[in-house]
Amino acid sequence: MDVHFCPQCTKILTLGRQGDYFAFIGVPRRLNLDLADLEQRFRQLSRQFHPDFFYNASPSERLASLERSSYLNDAYRTLKQPISRIAYLLELEGMWTTADKGDGNASKQVPPALLEEVFALNEELDEVRLLRESGAPVEQWRPRLQRAAQPIEAKRAEHEAQLQTLSARWDALQPDATDDARKAVLNALRERMLERNYINNLLGTIERELSA
Amino acid sequence: MSKVVGIDLGTTNSLVAYVRDGVPVVIRDKSGDGLVPSVVSSAPDGTMFVGREAQRRLLTDANRTVYSVKRFMGKGLDDVRDEARLLPFRVAGEAGGVVRIGLGDREFTPPEISALILRELKHRAEEHFAAQGEFDPEVDRAVITVPAYFNDAQRTATRDAGRIAGLEVLRIINEPTAASLAYGLDKRHTGVIAVYDLGGGTFDISILRVEDGVFQVLATNGDTHLGGDDIDMLLVEKVLLDVESEHPSYVVSGFGRTPTSEQIQEVRKAVIQAKWDLSDHEETQLLGKRITRAEFEELIRPIVDRTLRPCLQALGDAQLDASQIDEVVLVGGSTRIPLVRRLVAELFGKAPHSELNPDEVVALGAAIQADILITGNREMLLLDVTPLSLGIETMGGVTSKIILRNSTIPATGSEMFTTGVDNQTAVDIHVLQGERELVADNRSLARFKLRGIPPMPAGMPRVQVQFQIDANGILSVTASELRTNIQQTIEVKPSYGLTDQQVEQMLLDSFEHAEADFAARLLIDAKNEAESVVNATEKTFRSPDFPEVARVELAAGEQKRIEQALTGLKHVMLSSDRDAILQWTKVLNDATQHLAEIMMNRSVKEALTGKNIERL
Repeated sequence: MDVHFCPQCTKILTLGRQGDYFAFIGVPRRLNLDLADLEQRFRQLSRQFHPDFFYNASPSERLASLERSSYLNDAYRTLKQPISRIAYLLELEGMWTTADKGDGNASKQVPPALLEEVFALNEELDEVRLLRESGAPVEQWRPRLQRAAQPIEAKRAEHEAQLQTLSARWDALQPDATDDARKAVLNALRERMLERNYINNLLGTIERELSA
Repeated sequence: MSKVVGIDLGTTNSLVAYVRDGVPVVIRDKSGDGLVPSVVSSAPDGTMFVGREAQRRLLTDANRTVYSVKRFMGKGLDDVRDEARLLPFRVAGEAGGVVRIGLGDREFTPPEISALILRELKHRAEEHFAAQGEFDPEVDRAVITVPAYFNDAQRTATRDAGRIAGLEVLRIINEPTAASLAYGLDKRHTGVIAVYDLGGGTFDISILRVEDGVFQVLATNGDTHLGGDDIDMLLVEKVLLDVESEHPSYVVSGFGRTPTSEQIQEVRKAVIQAKWDLSDHEETQLLGKRITRAEFEELIRPIVDRTLRPCLQALGDAQLDASQIDEVVLVGGSTRIPLVRRLVAELFGKAPHSELNPDEVVALGAAIQADILITGNREMLLLDVTPLSLGIETMGGVTSKIILRNSTIPATGSEMFTTGVDNQTAVDIHVLQGERELVADNRSLARFKLRGIPPMPAGMPRVQVQFQIDANGILSVTASELRTNIQQTIEVKPSYGLTDQQVEQMLLDSFEHAEADFAARLLIDAKNEAESVVNATEKTFRSPDFPEVARVELAAGEQKRIEQALTGLKHVMLSSDRDAILQWTKVLNDATQHLAEIMMNRSVKEALTGKNIERL
């Protein structure tokens, strides 16, 4: 648990550059969190840091309050959702770079596990585009697109299940687990996350084609 | 200690409230009216009217009268061209710049007009505190409310208006959230609340979770261009169309083809009255024609239906369905319309609350928030969200979101960028607000350049753009090049906003005007005083007794001194030199003191004599 206030003078402390969301809120670095507990801590800390309560304080305390409650809000938002929680853990462990996020380059390379699906989808998309350009009515190509989305949606569901299993494995690691054991779980998590991003981009493409 | 207040700066009406002995109360005028119509009117001599008087002038001087100015806050001319059509006042400004509103021969920005309304509220509150015998009745700090769905430019414009009015804006808070605070007072709610706020010009829906006194907004949505005004405009247009198509049953004060602004305002007034009537009655008269509630509802249904999509969107963002909402609260005058209540009840499957006056509840909440800020009272805490995503432009005209909508504020976010060309020494940063993917579809908030990047191959510099939203929901942006530590901070000044210098100047102008007004009043007082002394002296000179008094009782040269003082005073009275007027008034007063005593004694004697004679 982080120290938020000076033990001697009880003044709110400036936010340090080190530290992380888990420690800040005071929960273990796990992927399955007790959400009720997280929420309760969030409310408690909000009551301690919020700029509302520092309106008459010195400028440095006001700044510290703004920084600390911003950080708290960012932390709560990140830890509340399982996917952003995993991404954050990977980032903390040095395994998730800016390039991995969303539309970076890493997500433009087809993950090996998805080659087959991507190949099939691209063929289908090309055909649909041709159909549309030749002036075919919507009823002819829309169902094809919807059908093409199905295996990809199934993949996403599969990935979510895998992410849950891996999350449980991370949480089960003992404090004295070897670096290799930790790395193995983190690597697997990273792979699934990259694939998941790629899948989301594919589904986004289909969505755009459907509304085109 | 000066006073703090909460202000609801509304599209149609504005209110001011404060916390007295722990209870929020609205400050009313002598007739018990808490509403100050958000209307400003200027007389040809430059005198400004605000509130009821300005509202009355809509029927006589429509072209010199501004209402619904809130719709123009933080807007550019291009945003409002359509709307300006039916409004009586002149909307001007240069393309790509801030809107200006013509009043007589002067032009004002929307924050300046709003500042006039705020000053009226400030004045009302100060009179109230003075009447209560407060040692220091000055009001210099306020919490001001805005629609939850206001963007950064609109919030900043509101804060600027406060500054121009000479108020330190303690906090900008969202109207529905303020309303929830006011509702949360009497009962210790725990649960999920939906606040449905349909006002004069804006619609907001906010979903909140309330627990342990923390009011946490889960999601908000809305439309800053949807409210009672739209209903009024629709009805006005309908009436005018009916007149045009020569329905003999619509006889409206002998309209020609193009009605004057005053005639339009007359129709508008009638339409608003009919709208109010139909909240309580099944039918009413509109300009001599019967209109039923059913007809009215059919007409306005499309407008009311426009509130449904934002409600569903907010529920979706909060990851809740309508049945999970424990309580629904109605805010805003337009929620008095039975159709609105019915639709809300249908949507959420429960009867909405309306125990508190929907016109006043926002101001009460603002007063509570002001009290929290000043006293540091930790019983209640508002955790609000940013209504719209914030981001910057990236390659290909795409918006990269840095802080997502419905993030609890204060909040931060950052993103790394690099250069696209070798030896590039500056990077353009374009700040955007909105949910769309393409830059062109979002609101452009500001553009700035990070300069001084040392020449490096393309892709080498590491430019970090850091966003900070404060508790007011207002954004500031920092950009730094991490390899060289070059840093630039900008308070995002919206493209359609005012610069700090402009706000400063307007504040100074308003002070000067205030000072000029004050000085003018003092001068008038001095002249009045001088005039009464002059009149009294001249009256004495004309009295039949005076020649005898002058001969018998006045000292040598005394009459001459009085005459000189009289001439002197009459001379300076023609000027605007208040000090000289006061000085010469004193000179004449002193010179006539002896004469006044003599005349007084004589009249007393006469009176006594008279009485004695009567007795005889």
